[in-house]
Amino acid sequence: MTMPAMSQAGSGAEAATPAAVPAPASEASAPAPLEFVRASRWYSQVIALNDVSVRIPPGVTGLLGPNGAGKSTFLKLASGQLKPSQGEVRLLGRPAWGSPEVFHRVGICPEVDAFWEHLCGLDFLVHLLRLSGYDDQECRHRAENALHQVALLDAKHRKIGGYSKGMRQRVKLAQAIAHEPEVLLLDEPVSGMDPLNRRRVIELVRRLGREGRTVVVSSHILHEVEAMTRRVLLVHNGRIQAEGDVREIREMMDEHPHTVALRARDPRRLAAAIVGWPNVLSMSFGTDGEWLTAQTARPDEFYRSLHQPALDAGVVEMYSPDENLESVFRYLTTRGTPALEPAR
Amino acid sequence: MPIYDQGYRRYVARSPLQRARFWPITREPLRMLLLKRLFLALLLSSLAPLVVSALWIYIVTRYPESGRLLPIDGQLFGEMLKYQMLFGILLSVFGASGSIANDLRSGAMLVYLSRPLTKRDYLLGKLGVPLLLNLAVMLVPGLLLYLAGLGLAPEQYLRWHLAWIAPSIVAYSVAAGLAISLLTLAVSSLSRSARVAGIGLVAALVGLEMTRLILQYGFDRKEAVVVSLWADLKALGVALFAVPDPQIEISWVWPLLVLALVSVGCLLVLRARVRAVEIVT
Repeated sequence: MTMPAMSQAGSGAEAATPAAVPAPASEASAPAPLEFVRASRWYSQVIALNDVSVRIPPGVTGLLGPNGAGKSTFLKLASGQLKPSQGEVRLLGRPAWGSPEVFHRVGICPEVDAFWEHLCGLDFLVHLLRLSGYDDQECRHRAENALHQVALLDAKHRKIGGYSKGMRQRVKLAQAIAHEPEVLLLDEPVSGMDPLNRRRVIELVRRLGREGRTVVVSSHILHEVEAMTRRVLLVHNGRIQAEGDVREIREMMDEHPHTVALRARDPRRLAAAIVGWPNVLSMSFGTDGEWLTAQTARPDEFYRSLHQPALDAGVVEMYSPDENLESVFRYLTTRGTPALEPAR
Repeated sequence: MPIYDQGYRRYVARSPLQRARFWPITREPLRMLLLKRLFLALLLSSLAPLVVSALWIYIVTRYPESGRLLPIDGQLFGEMLKYQMLFGILLSVFGASGSIANDLRSGAMLVYLSRPLTKRDYLLGKLGVPLLLNLAVMLVPGLLLYLAGLGLAPEQYLRWHLAWIAPSIVAYSVAAGLAISLLTLAVSSLSRSARVAGIGLVAALVGLEMTRLILQYGFDRKEAVVVSLWADLKALGVALFAVPDPQIEISWVWPLLVLALVSVGCLLVLRARVRAVEIVT
């Protein structure tokens, strides 16, 4: 999978093509590519998104939330398909609603199938690229390039009506990236794909993020989001509940003790050594007699002190089952307690 | 904040919105329609009234007394365009009744409206399909017949008192084409199925015409003409081409007003129905 051989930023502005300008990728003062300023959206009596303010920087951001949390409304507002009831949504420095010109620089991969089934994959992309204003030759070139990136070039002349679910997903993704947008809004981009293409698309999304594009990926499959990015935006009950790096979010969640699972040759010896530590809140043994699970309020301190007892007890494996996205998601969206048994 | 490589060309100098951006929306369905044999056959058969009318002009120039049956003045054009209008409706049903319905069903409207297009561009593009079809079977044959008349009977058509025919052809074709096209689109936007929309359009036209006939002949209400869009369009033709029609006994102003109101109503329906996302409350 190759991206078109595009020049590096600022490596020369060709006269015949739109100018290449250096990107203000990491300037703190630069406006965020996507910004919600106290944006709310309600449908009659139902508040779908409530007073949301967030700046989404370049790179990949995972948009997470349970069903009905407001993810779709968030994406629809971001893509200018809905008008905020209150507040403002700015896309590339312009209001997302009512600024069609901004869509030269935005790619959208909707969750729902949005095709003309009678067209082949290539014609579908060419037709959409024409709407972006490219000439026929450019359309074809870009369409083939995009299909190549999603590994659909071999099926470019097949009618979309005959595509499998995974192929449909990929052609949707291809239409979103074909015009090389700066901002990509992807709604469940890997759903229905086989593992190979799933991995391929995850890698594509990561690469798009590395290139400095702003990619917002909505998904409810947490490990897929985790494979794409560490930066998440968690929407719950119409509000942004958490924003930023998953690990950092986890560290901020003081009310949930951190769980550390340790597999040792002598877990009871390890337990005896650490039971008196003030930062250890509770412990339990696994049923197989090898695992010890400890909960600590201060993980950094716990790990610092663990070195010698771990050597003495013959710790062979250690991990934190609740420092992943799934745990963060669960803690934030439910009031449940973390599982004590190590989940493998 | 992490530092990202920006390894792609950033297109910020692209013109804000280009002109005629609705055209790809019109062009693609037309291209697809022209690939269908049935559609092509219908399009070709729509030339029949033109051929017959041109032949009639030739016959009347050779045998002037036959002009008493149907004079080759405005009446001939009015009669021909009446039939052409029927083809216009058929082609609209066949080629454009699914125009918006299919987009609603497939979700393609979302894809359209996530491009650098306005809702107006989308509607213009969609309107282009039935409008061009209607103009192709009304305006083009009308003007061709006029040219044929100029060639076959210059002494007849080069006279000042028939100089209004060409502008009337343009006015009638555009007015009828617009009304039919807007109605087709509005009906299309009310359904998610091209078939249902097509049947709905025909049912609306036929139903209103039946209502008109019942009111006009059953209850002797000559103003019932305004009820039927078909009769309204005919009434406009009667006024523009001075075609005697015993069924149309009211001033052309009322049918024109009805057509204008129907067109505005269709625009309002389209405005309400054409949106990228369906809002469920």
